[in-house]
Amino acid sequence: MLTCREMSELGSDIIDHRLTFKTRLGVLMHLSMCVRCRNYIKQLELTSNTLKKISIDDEYVDTDSILKSVRKPDA
Amino acid sequence: MDDEQEMIQRLKRGDPAACETAIKAHHRFLIAMTVPLVGRDLADDVAQETWIKAFAAVEKFEGRSAFRTWLARIALNEARAMRRKYSREVSLDSWGVDPGSPITQRFTDDGAWSTPPSQWHHETPEEILTEAELQECIRKHLHKLPSDQQSVVMMRELAGLEFNEIAHALGLAEGNIRVLLHRGRQRMHTMLEHFEEEGTC
Repeated sequence: MLTCREMSELGSDIIDHRLTFKTRLGVLMHLSMCVRCRNYIKQLELTSNTLKKISIDDEYVDTDSILKSVRKPDA
Repeated sequence: MDDEQEMIQRLKRGDPAACETAIKAHHRFLIAMTVPLVGRDLADDVAQETWIKAFAAVEKFEGRSAFRTWLARIALNEARAMRRKYSREVSLDSWGVDPGSPITQRFTDDGAWSTPPSQWHHETPEEILTEAELQECIRKHLHKLPSDQQSVVMMRELAGLEFNEIAHALGLAEGNIRVLLHRGRQRMHTMLEHFEEEGTC
């Protein structure tokens, strides 16, 4: 039987669907009985999906100077 | 046609305004992804070279990956070239060592939760990202991750690169990349959990 600590270590393999058949059975059994681990895995997946969508480009970007230095494709 | 596809069509026609849109949307990301690899000063050069190559090759972009993923691939190649040229600038020798779980103190000796995950107010990425303060907090903590975890999170989550591409770029085994990604996600989860509980960064 997997412990909650072991479940937390398997978290990314679980959300990335990279478990062996045997481990997957153990994970499914644990998840069916443990709401705490269900929460953790769900939140880890939400964290990952949020990172996939976040933009880090809200700061000011001096596009003019960049464009000048890279030479416009139509120049 | 969505905004990105429209921008790409305009880029293919050589529309300078589309170049500006692309730079505005992705320049900071390219810098953030390459700083841990080549250092702050060279990251500007890498980003600049990436734009030169991208604008020259955009006609060949077939849209099989997201535009950001395509740009990230070009940037990684440029960063690799830059690292070869200035091999002593940034050392990645210490990268890939697993620092262990950042939540190990949340379990009892027999491996059960002693501090279990709290309930969150947000259910979807969209709900999380509508809060400007929370978005800013995520960015701040992303930059506070150890360099190796930060790079892997940027390359995998934000850029959408494959594990083998990341492993090749960083000279590490895919297994190491998966561990670094997991540790990075765990730290970012802890940050989000704190925000969900306290309402502050």
